[in-house]
Amino acid sequence: MSRPDLRRLRRPEKAEEKFLGPLETEVMARLWKRRSATVRDIVEDLARTRELAYTTVMTIMVRLHEKGLLERTREGKTYVYRPSHTRDEHRARLSRDLVRGLVAEFGDAALAAFSAELDTVDATHRAALRRLAQKDTRETR
Amino acid sequence: MKRADRVFTIMLGLALASSAILLALLLTLVPRVEQLVGRGAEDTADVVAAGVLLLAVCGISLGLLTLLRQLVATAVLIRKLVAQKIALPPSVVTAATGLDLHGRIDVVFDERPFSFCYWFLRPRICLSTALVERLDSDELRAVLYHERYHLRQRDPLRQIVARYFAAGLYVVPVVDELLSFHTLQKEIEADQEAVRASGDVRSLASALYKLLPDADDVSLGLLVPVSSLSVTEARIEQLVVGRPLPIALSPVSVVLSGGALVAAAVLVAVKGGASVVFETLPPLYAVPGLLVGPASLLFAAAIDGGLHQLRPLTQRLFAQT
Repeated sequence: MSRPDLRRLRRPEKAEEKFLGPLETEVMARLWKRRSATVRDIVEDLARTRELAYTTVMTIMVRLHEKGLLERTREGKTYVYRPSHTRDEHRARLSRDLVRGLVAEFGDAALAAFSAELDTVDATHRAALRRLAQKDTRETR
Repeated sequence: MKRADRVFTIMLGLALASSAILLALLLTLVPRVEQLVGRGAEDTADVVAAGVLLLAVCGISLGLLTLLRQLVATAVLIRKLVAQKIALPPSVVTAATGLDLHGRIDVVFDERPFSFCYWFLRPRICLSTALVERLDSDELRAVLYHERYHLRQRDPLRQIVARYFAAGLYVVPVVDELLSFHTLQKEIEADQEAVRASGDVRSLASALYKLLPDADDVSLGLLVPVSSLSVTEARIEQLVVGRPLPIALSPVSVVLSGGALVAAAVLVAVKGGASVVFETLPPLYAVPGLLVGPASLLFAAAIDGGLHQLRPLTQRLFAQT
């Protein structure tokens, strides 16, 4: 049986909404690095690897602002954009959103789930599990 | 018999005995309520009968609603799974070799790593593509051992039956607590089976670790925490220490459940205030002692059990916001 190319499969609409597009990810990565920037700054930054129209980047940054990922303040005639959350905070939020989506979607039906994704695990238990996962198999026999 | 099975048997026995007592109470009170509708409330016994009957109607509705909700959720889930199903990746085929799961595994395209067992009479295992991609062969096999345990035990069917009773018998809140313990114990026994079949704990621990959410504070309580531990924390403790978990029943629930059943039995015995014995006793003792007192106990248990039942609903609402 040949391995299916997962990237070519159509993603479910809901899952798509939960992630940033490739261009949005690039813009966010640059803003996390620079901490604040104007649209022009990002266009120039991106120009080192790819050429994008000013209006394209502006549209993306406005969309990210509307999604609550960027904050902006007006300085003269231009907007200066800043990330609303650090990269780690964003990852944590994303993880939480995914989990909530899973619960909302599957709820009662997924009765016997391998449910690690759905639960609270404090640092002590995480560390204990990591040690167990890394344990030399010879010790356990 | 394993511990989870023992708990399930106790829960089912308690649920059937409670159902019998409450059904007897319902049958006792129905004629009285028919009279009440015809001529209006004349004494305390009429009011008690109407109140208790209301509790019974709530219980029957809750039970049926829970059953319906679970069936609808399962139908919706299956429709979604079918739409996102892909051919089994070779890694899954390899991991499932020799596990006697032919034709019982579905892989669905999803960005979220998850696996679960679903459907009732002939359960199936569902794995997401994100889970398959994230785990190596040994870890995947450990997850399949875990799910195979649920599949062989027909746990989805057990859960739907147990949830129906827990919701319908909300005036006996200890049934709901036994269900929570049973759910957790099932997870632990599935883990133990996976460790036993894998030959060591590493593969399962590693799979569990790779599936932990990035955020430390994700708490939705889809499954029910035991004391201060979440279900996953309890599973980790079990993997690390291997000590059996104590059954943590709340004393309030136990007392209220016992009280509610004794109260229901008393109300049946005095036929809701229509028995000869009741009528020969002085009303000063009989009305509070054999009518209002037992009915109050039933109401107190109903409030506690009702709050138990509302908890998943509020959590689900929280999850959607």
